[in-house]
This record gives sequence, structure tokens and C-alpha cells, in this order.
Amino acid sequence: MGTSKSLPPITRITKYTLIDEVQQRSFVVMFVFCALCVFLVRGCYQGNYMVNGQILDAGTIVRTLSKATFHVIGAGVMVIAALLSMRIFRRDRNEGMQSCILSKPIARWQYVMGKILGLWALSTLFMFILHSIVFLITSINLKVFMPGYLVASMLCSINLLFVVIAVLLLSVLMSDIVAFLCVLGVGSVGFVADGIAAASHSQIAQVMMQQPGTGPQSDITWWKVVYVLWPKLLGVQQLASSLIESESNHGIGSLYPFINVLVYCLILGALLFKRFRDEDIV
Amino acid sequence: MIELKNVTKRYESLTAVDDVSFSVKTGECFALLGPNGAGKTTIVKMLLDFTRPTSGSLSLNGIPSTLAECRQSVGYLAENNHIQPSLSGWQYLLRCAELLDMNRSEAADHCRRIVELIGMQGRENTKVSTYSKGMVQRFGLGAALMGNPKLLILDEPTSGLDPIGIREIRLLLESLKGQGMTIFLNSHLLSEVEKICDTAAIINRGKLLVKDTISSIVKDGETLEDVFVRLVKG
Repeated sequence: MGTSKSLPPITRITKYTLIDEVQQRSFVVMFVFCALCVFLVRGCYQGNYMVNGQILDAGTIVRTLSKATFHVIGAGVMVIAALLSMRIFRRDRNEGMQSCILSKPIARWQYVMGKILGLWALSTLFMFILHSIVFLITSINLKVFMPGYLVASMLCSINLLFVVIAVLLLSVLMSDIVAFLCVLGVGSVGFVADGIAAASHSQIAQVMMQQPGTGPQSDITWWKVVYVLWPKLLGVQQLASSLIESESNHGIGSLYPFINVLVYCLILGALLFKRFRDEDIV
Repeated sequence: MIELKNVTKRYESLTAVDDVSFSVKTGECFALLGPNGAGKTTIVKMLLDFTRPTSGSLSLNGIPSTLAECRQSVGYLAENNHIQPSLSGWQYLLRCAELLDMNRSEAADHCRRIVELIGMQGRENTKVSTYSKGMVQRFGLGAALMGNPKLLILDEPTSGLDPIGIREIRLLLESLKGQGMTIFLNSHLLSEVEKICDTAAIINRGKLLVKDTISSIVKDGETLEDVFVRLVKG
């Protein structure tokens, strides 16, 4: 494992995965629909927004909206990556591609690695193109240049890797749709929990919690442990979006979501390789 | 070339293969015979490491079947072979060639020869979704022949073929056998097996009933079919 000779089969399986997915009509429809949606929201950047009777600065509007779009694209492509991944093993099995590949001198880990890389590359490219549309609109049309936007997009691709590996692993253990829904559930719970945590740190929440009658707060509850260990998908997006405007709070603590998701990728990846090694090929 | 030692495969309470041992020598044309559900396909799947035995060991070319290297010069045609319908026959063969580490031009040359060999000239560029079952089977056989394998494992190669197709496959297998290729054949067509194969094994309910040369199994005045029916029913 890990010699240069093992690379060609992986790169070829990656290439075939990419080609096969791109040729799917459903993929093309999804891509065109998403690209059109992102393109059509460009009108929102140019409106006159008023807050407390004051017209907002155009640059602020563009930055705020493009950050919001960044998060929406990031979350949306995670769902698309899950949709693409959920049926990949079943389709390969039904179409005889799995037995065709594995009857050659190709190890199972090479096949799985090729599939992971193909899906990851495709979904990263998908997200990068959508983010690039926003980047081009803001740079060319609105003259607001955000160099960190595309770097942030690349950083978010770790979330896509997590989704791809998690769905592939679960699709080996359960039906495709249940695998998709489970990963969607994990992502949604993480997003909601991070949202609640962010809200609880707001000034209003702090004031409410300090009022008499709210009771003493326990130090470390198991909920907190679960929250800290839960896949930090939104945390990665927030870390990435902080790069858009080169915000300078990049201490070790702020890297935690990235490390958290990376560790999940490694653990789930190891479980996927182990589970697929014992899988019967039909 | 192929060796099975005390191989047993259990699926929960069902014993699909029960303590089977035999070997196939290099250059031999071997047939694995048995009624439906006898465990033939399970043995083929274990040879290719598609499923692992509950106990016992299998090896190809002296290498344990669990290692990918043992499939270095092995061609395989599955029973009810399927090909991705979005591909053309040519694209399918090209992929199989590339997976064997051939470069693009080498793969194209090889594919051209294979298309000729399986008699599919003129149809290789149409989509697999338009092919008949027999045509899919021919391209599957073509994929198995990719890279000039030393060992060919064929699971019901004539499935879906008309009598002319069956005859063509037989002639092709005879020519490959003449070139010294080892052939492991899983088939129900006993008359074809009798014509092509040197040795055969008959299994029933996972147990090996007999393994010998065809001439030793089939006595004077009998056919392979008679022996098969007698052993399986008896």
C-alpha cells in the first residue's frame, strides 16, 4: 500500500467516477439550477438597504450578502455531495463496474479511495464554481474585491470530504436514502447547535442568563461534551468565511472546527476501508 | 495455477461450500459443474476474493486469493454480466484496458484486436443500452480477455447466447486453450463442456462429488450428462 504503482488505479477510478457523475442527467440539471440561482441573486447586491433610517454603504451590503451566499452555497453543496455519494456503490454494483474493477489486480482500498477522491473532487469543483460566480459578480460588477473568497471555498471542501466519506460508509451499512438522511441529520443538528451556541453568546442572552431566577449554570454537562465533539461543519464554514475579510482571530482555538472535521474524516475513512474490505461483492 | 484447500463457506445456517479441495494445473481446461445452488458461483467469488471463505484457503498462481496481485493475469466473466449502460462497448473495453495499466494507444490497439476476436466490429461504438444480452456477454468476454490473461475464469459464458453464439464461444475457447491458457469454466451446457474441457469437478449442495479427467468420469456408452444426473440425483 502506498507505492507509486498503486497510484494509477486510484487516479483512473477517480477519473471514471468524475466522468460518470458528470454524464448523469440529474447532475447536469442540479448544476445548471444551482448556477442560475446563484447568478440570479446578483440583483440583491445592488439594492438600497436602509437600517434605522440610514442607507447602508454599498461595500458593506456586498460583503454581508456575499458572506451569506457563501454559507448557503457551502451548506447546499454538502446536500448535493450527499446525494451524489449515496448511490455510488449501489450503481457500481448493479452496473457490474464493481466486479469488473475488483476482478483486476486492484485492491479494495484503491477502489474506495478512487471513489472518495472522485466524489470529493467533483463536489469541491461544484462548490468552487458557484463561489466563483459570486466572486466574479462582486469583483467585476460591483468592484468589491474579496481575495479570500476562493481560498475560503477551498477550506470548506473539508466539509464535503466529511459528507462523502460519511454517506459512503453508511450506504454500505444501510439503505442509501437512510444513509443520506442520517448524514443530513448530523449536519442539521450541528448547524442548529452552533446557531444556538452563537445566540447564547449574544449580549441579550448573556443579560437574560444573569437575571435572578434563571438558576446557577452547571460547569460541564455531558451536553457540552457532545456539543464540542459533534462534527463542526458550520464551524468550518465560519472559519472559512473569516478568511473572506482577513479577520485576524485565527488562534489555535479557531482552528478547532477544521481539526474536528479532519479527525472525523480520518476515523470514518478508516471505518469505511475496514467495512468495505469485508463486504461481499455481488 | 488454482488451489482450494478445505474451503468452507457458510451463510448463517446455510453451508454453500462444504470442505472442498481441488486444484487446477496450468494449461488445463477445467469445468466446475453442478445444479443451481450447488455452490459453483460461490467458489468463483472466493477465487476472486469477492467473498471470503469461512475456513480453508484458496490461491491463484501460488498467491493467496486475498491479495490483489494474484489477479495480475486473470480474466473474469461474471454470470449475468452487466456493463454500464451509458458507455459504448469500446469505452468499456478501453476502461478495462486502462485499469490494467495500459497507456491510451496500447489500450486502443488491444481493444481493436479484442473487438475483432469477439466478432463485434461495427457495433463497438454504440451504447451498451442498445445491446442484446448476447452482445453484452461477448463484450464481457472481451473484457476478460484483456491483457492476454494466463487464467480465464468464466461463469456461464454462453448465458444469453444463441446456438451460433455458443458455437463461436466454444471455438474461441478451444483456440485459447490451444494457446496454453488455463480455463476455469462454470457451465450448465454439459455437451459443450465435454467438447472443450480436459478435467471437471461435480459439486452438489456444496460438496465435491468427483474431480477427474473427463475421460475418467465418463465411462464408455455414457455421456457427461448421464454421469451428472446419476451423481447429483444419487
